[in-house]
Amino acid sequence: MREGSLLDVRELSVRFAMQRQSLLGARPVLQAVRGVSFSLRPGRTLGLVGESGSGKTTTAMAAIRLTPAFSGSAMFDGVDLLSLDPEAMRQRRRHLQVIFQDPYSSLNPRERVGAIVREPLELMMPEMPKPARKERVRELFGLVGLRPDQMALFPHQFSGGQRQRVSIARALATNPRLIVCDEPVSALDVAIQAQILNLLRRLQDDYGLSYLFISHDLGVVQFICDDVAVMYLGQIVEFADRPSLFSRPRHPYTAALLAAAPSLTRRKSAGYVREVMVRGDPPSPLSIPPGCAFASRCPRAQPKCREERPQLVHDASGSVACHYPNP
Amino acid sequence: MTEPLLSIRDLKVEFSTRNGRVTALDGIDLDLMPGETLGIVGESGCGKSITALATMGLIPDPPGRIAGGRILFDGEDITHADARRLRSLRGADISMIFQEPMTSLNPVFTAGDQIAEAIMLHQQLGRAEANRKAVELLRTVGIPEPERRARSFPHELSGGMRQRVMIAMAISCRPRVLIADEPTTALDVTVQAQIFDLMRDIQKEFGVAIMLITHDMGAIAEMADRVAVMYAGRIVEKGSADAILDNPLHPYTRGLIDCIPVLGKAAGEQGRMPPLAEIPGVVPPLHLLGQGCAFADRCPLAFDRCRIETPILDGRSHGVACFATEMEAV
Repeated sequence: MREGSLLDVRELSVRFAMQRQSLLGARPVLQAVRGVSFSLRPGRTLGLVGESGSGKTTTAMAAIRLTPAFSGSAMFDGVDLLSLDPEAMRQRRRHLQVIFQDPYSSLNPRERVGAIVREPLELMMPEMPKPARKERVRELFGLVGLRPDQMALFPHQFSGGQRQRVSIARALATNPRLIVCDEPVSALDVAIQAQILNLLRRLQDDYGLSYLFISHDLGVVQFICDDVAVMYLGQIVEFADRPSLFSRPRHPYTAALLAAAPSLTRRKSAGYVREVMVRGDPPSPLSIPPGCAFASRCPRAQPKCREERPQLVHDASGSVACHYPNP
Repeated sequence: MTEPLLSIRDLKVEFSTRNGRVTALDGIDLDLMPGETLGIVGESGCGKSITALATMGLIPDPPGRIAGGRILFDGEDITHADARRLRSLRGADISMIFQEPMTSLNPVFTAGDQIAEAIMLHQQLGRAEANRKAVELLRTVGIPEPERRARSFPHELSGGMRQRVMIAMAISCRPRVLIADEPTTALDVTVQAQIFDLMRDIQKEFGVAIMLITHDMGAIAEMADRVAVMYAGRIVEKGSADAILDNPLHPYTRGLIDCIPVLGKAAGEQGRMPPLAEIPGVVPPLHLLGQGCAFADRCPLAFDRCRIETPILDGRSHGVACFATEMEAV
């Protein structure tokens, strides 16, 4: 385990058995996450970046044991979450919380938001006396910028941004140490997105929270993350701190992601034409190619890339899995 | 001077709702010139999509209705055109691509069939000829193995390919106006970039005028020649893309630009990024709009007059509807 990390994930793999294609055929296996390792330091934010299907959500959910892992370990505070017995795992749940992408489907429509925020306290901190719980819910509403009189309302009476504030209050209830933020602002309008991002960062400063932050939006990642892992087809292809990754992307996929992301400086009026471009879609995770998974879309692929799988190589400025990385 | 291809004048659209009659569009003026891309930007609920639907004659009536104003296509008033005229316009002269290609394609027909249908409808071609053209179009929009893909059903295609099929269908009759309503919102960034590149290529090749509806200022920068910024059913600022992005005048436009975590801003610097600018509050629901500027409650520059009078978009090429910036300019 790495020194001083809160969550240290080693060689994590997740597989899903799919439906049989024929009556007697074998069940095809989807390799969603293939040997992923990373570590998250206390009080910091690690970004998991990639396109849909790259395995970023599955990685995070398997690391906190909300999805069963096929192999690997996830050391949280010195204990491997993946080998804990269920009761011991349940005890630790209060330190691990999640904020989901869709504030519409992640809140129970039949429950008042005050009860939604109180529920984690009832489940995970039953020793807490009832008046203290009530007080805590009030406090949480204040922390996330909602008014205490809104506790009696139902989720549908809130806007998307306010619902996400309720989700954040619920995640904070048990004073967790790690929060998995799964695309927490993707469903929100830009103006609301800024409010939520600022709130998440302020809460991190005030409570020393660690975030595992899943996003496909590189602008958002650049704003909130300290370190970034770029995923492609279930593997980390590049890992670096924010300044290095954004100023000197070394994996061609990272470079392509940065070139594809909209930016205010690329103007039609100035005749902007994209340079680094990937074509087509990622290969299917059911039939992963033998060499580098990105080779089929890589603008710089060589014969070696299609035959030999590149390993993640570590050095002073980060890690990259590419036979021919950018300098 | 060239005439606008599509011209919207003082358009008003109303909806009857549980909360009474609300004004979804309140006096919209827009011009789309041949071959240009006009970006329409704003938050959800500001009336971007209603503008597009009104242009296509697709406002559901009831509960909605066009309560005033005119929509001119190539000089012809199509505001209250009958169903027959609208059918011949849609697809042939004005076509539209939507946000979610999965729900806008018919799941029980192949991609090729759906493109061929549009061709047969508008161009009086036989099935075989239309099918051949459909394959050709799939090749034009960059779908690999177009012969095979023409026989695929929508669920067998990726999101990016579905949007390409939608674009193939939309350009099948060489329309002069293409309305794209958040065409890439459901797609991954690398796929979004490919779709944008494709739309630009198609514009270069066919000279189609594009009305691009988006909430993304980055998409505006990359795609638009001119921009209209909408808020609560009105245009609050319009001008060239450069003018809007480099010198935004309306406090709402400024807020929209400042609150984006822009890629590349201080990318290489150590330490934390400064907090993002925020626009406080949310877009007001339409039935609660009172008198005065709809943005006044969220505006850092609002003063008494803003809550009483409604500012009008001035007629300059870079126009703004704001009392506070008017004062600034003086």
